[in-house]
Amino acid sequence: MNRSLNEIEAHAKRAARGAGLSWGMAEETGRAARWLASHDLAGPALLADVLEKNDGLAHAQVAPVSLDGDWYARAGDLCPLAVGATLNDCAERLAPGLSIKARNVSCPLLIVPFAAWAAIHLRQPVRVSYENVRIETDGDGLWIDDPHQAINAGKAETVIFQRASTRTDPAQRPAVRGNVSCKNWARLGAFSERTFAPATEASRRLGAGSGLSDND
Amino acid sequence: MQPQANTSQTVVTRDPAQVMRLSRLGSFHQSRLSFMRILTRRMTRENWTFTRPVFEFDAKGVGHAVYCAHTPDRTYSLIAFGHDLPPEERSDRVIATAWDSTFTLFDGVPEAADIERLRQNIPLQEAGRVSERELSVSRANRSVRLWDHVVSRLAAGAQPDPGEVAKVGYLMRTTAVYGSGKLGAADREMIADRPECASPFQIEMLSVFLTRSYVRDLVQHMADLKGGAAAVPLDAGIARSLGIGNSTGLGMAPFLVNHPMLFNNWIAAREEAIAIVRSLPAATASEVATFREMLERSILSADLWYSEHPIQVEKLKRLRRDLSALETHLADADLAGPRPWDRLFVWAEGALGEDAQECLASLMLEPYGRLVDHLADKMSDKDRHAFRIDGTMRVADLRAVLERAYGWALDIDWSEKEQCARAWYVSQEKLEPRLGERFEEPIAPYEQPLAPGRDAAALYRALKDKDGNAPLAAFLLTHPEHRHCVRRAQIVARAPYAEIRDNTIGSDLMPIDMLRCKLSFFGATHFDPRSDRWVRICMFGNAPYPEELSDSQVDDWSYPPLLEGAK
Repeated sequence: MNRSLNEIEAHAKRAARGAGLSWGMAEETGRAARWLASHDLAGPALLADVLEKNDGLAHAQVAPVSLDGDWYARAGDLCPLAVGATLNDCAERLAPGLSIKARNVSCPLLIVPFAAWAAIHLRQPVRVSYENVRIETDGDGLWIDDPHQAINAGKAETVIFQRASTRTDPAQRPAVRGNVSCKNWARLGAFSERTFAPATEASRRLGAGSGLSDND
Repeated sequence: MQPQANTSQTVVTRDPAQVMRLSRLGSFHQSRLSFMRILTRRMTRENWTFTRPVFEFDAKGVGHAVYCAHTPDRTYSLIAFGHDLPPEERSDRVIATAWDSTFTLFDGVPEAADIERLRQNIPLQEAGRVSERELSVSRANRSVRLWDHVVSRLAAGAQPDPGEVAKVGYLMRTTAVYGSGKLGAADREMIADRPECASPFQIEMLSVFLTRSYVRDLVQHMADLKGGAAAVPLDAGIARSLGIGNSTGLGMAPFLVNHPMLFNNWIAAREEAIAIVRSLPAATASEVATFREMLERSILSADLWYSEHPIQVEKLKRLRRDLSALETHLADADLAGPRPWDRLFVWAEGALGEDAQECLASLMLEPYGRLVDHLADKMSDKDRHAFRIDGTMRVADLRAVLERAYGWALDIDWSEKEQCARAWYVSQEKLEPRLGERFEEPIAPYEQPLAPGRDAAALYRALKDKDGNAPLAAFLLTHPEHRHCVRRAQIVARAPYAEIRDNTIGSDLMPIDMLRCKLSFFGATHFDPRSDRWVRICMFGNAPYPEELSDSQVDDWSYPPLLEGAK
């Protein structure tokens, strides 16, 4: 279904929060889903995959153990949202000629929006490579090289981040609307539901403060 | 932006620690930089034209109309649907499911197929679905007491009782105006580059402006159908006095916290305008005359301002007393001398309450459109990347930011019940923000991040033992729970008016303070709190109608006219 990008962002943010992410992580997750949807990429679907896979796991279990050396999780796979936020937080580490490697990452496409924000900050495109997929972004623009259609991989053993050269060939530009299937919308909705407080008699009566009559 | 440097020629912008307290924000008044006035100034300046290609209603008001606003570059159309609403279903609460009228602002001129599609959706409001051709979705209910009075009087060949009209002030009140992507409508980002959308909420204000014409036309239409040959047209002066009512509830309060950069830009623009005027070395006689006239009209406006809410009743008493004191002071004050506005304002800070101080601040801008109106273009949030956290910032630098911007919160014992008695949450029933009692209702697990002070204090504690030279990136990797607050702190470090510097979850919180602040930027007047968490206002009262815009070169309609008010 065709949706506004604000709707997609708000829905994804609530879903991430419902799945147990911190508010700060949930905010960036919403932005990431919006960014991917604006490029007609499978952001909302992959986000639902990751939230279902990591449901109930603490950040410490799915985030890089340390910023130094290759990034890996304490046990199991890295969450792409935790990797993305961390990458953006220390974008300066993507010095010319240096790369960051992350090992065993779920749904690596979800990292690309964070790389895009790092690129805006660095004023230079950033490349994200995994499983024969090479994606470069300068923030808004996107160049995808995906000969084996592995962009939506559920997991990558290695994801490499590095600065890329400025490109002059046409980039894929973001659209102003996004499409999210009803099925994936509902999968995210199952998580966002958890953020809503069940109504009680007290909340109906007091929560919005009826006070004086509203009909005169 | 940072507050301006103090030199002998320049008055600094006010300290955020003074401005951003809830009691002061809850005392704000409309000004030249209010969104309704920004819109009407532009419509006049650019000679917008208006048409009404469709108007088809039966005697019960069922039907639809299209009102078009033609800018130099494009057309916006308000599509209004009228309904026959049983009285027992009429409610302004967001939980209502039916209304007297429902609206959408369409981007362009709708074709028959658009109208049919929208007829299936707009009357349902939240239960319907719109597209990127629609820019807003809204609804309105009649003021039963005034609507019936006006229809029957006009139908009988008489004008409505001016006293009744003044007591209510509107024939319909909107109960929600949704924009920016809601229900599938166009995102603000799609239209943000248009000049008429450079200032915030211009689409929503245009929708209400056109709604006012619709309401006037519909009440006339129904009176004509009822009275036949006996019916008379509504007096133009009475029509002019009527605005559109608005009931605003809690949904609007979190907006200010959820959009810190945007909120900063509103406050910063007004503060910059105040500082510009206070810095003026002298005032001309005509500038002083304009100011004095607007003060007289403000005094009248305060007299006409009616509320039953005990807190507002007390505030109004003080405001009227203070405005009278200001008038007395001005009888002897020397506005011809050097730096007249700064001297006046400094006097007011010592002599008047916050409500009158803020009223004066807005009034001082009135003679100086040429110096301050351009600030309207700085009030939107164009910084798409403000949300990015700078992970290279050192822990010590963040601590300094927290001490500067959240100093008020660091000394509060947030474990005390009265300091955190409330929690903001979203209800499952209507997906709307609500405010609950943390220790009496099971809502804490659902709490929304709307207590920046408490969160900043927790962040400050967490940073206490950390190496001051370490970058934040490492801290955030192990403390994702503070990520939200770090982002806010980094925003407020460069946008000093981004945060309300007060407790937003305390037992004594008055959400209506947040509502009034936001609504004052819309340009609303006569705030009438109906409880501690919803407020009734009037929009576009005394404003020109579309066909009158070209004759109204003066942008002063927010102040009631002296002659008519004296009647």
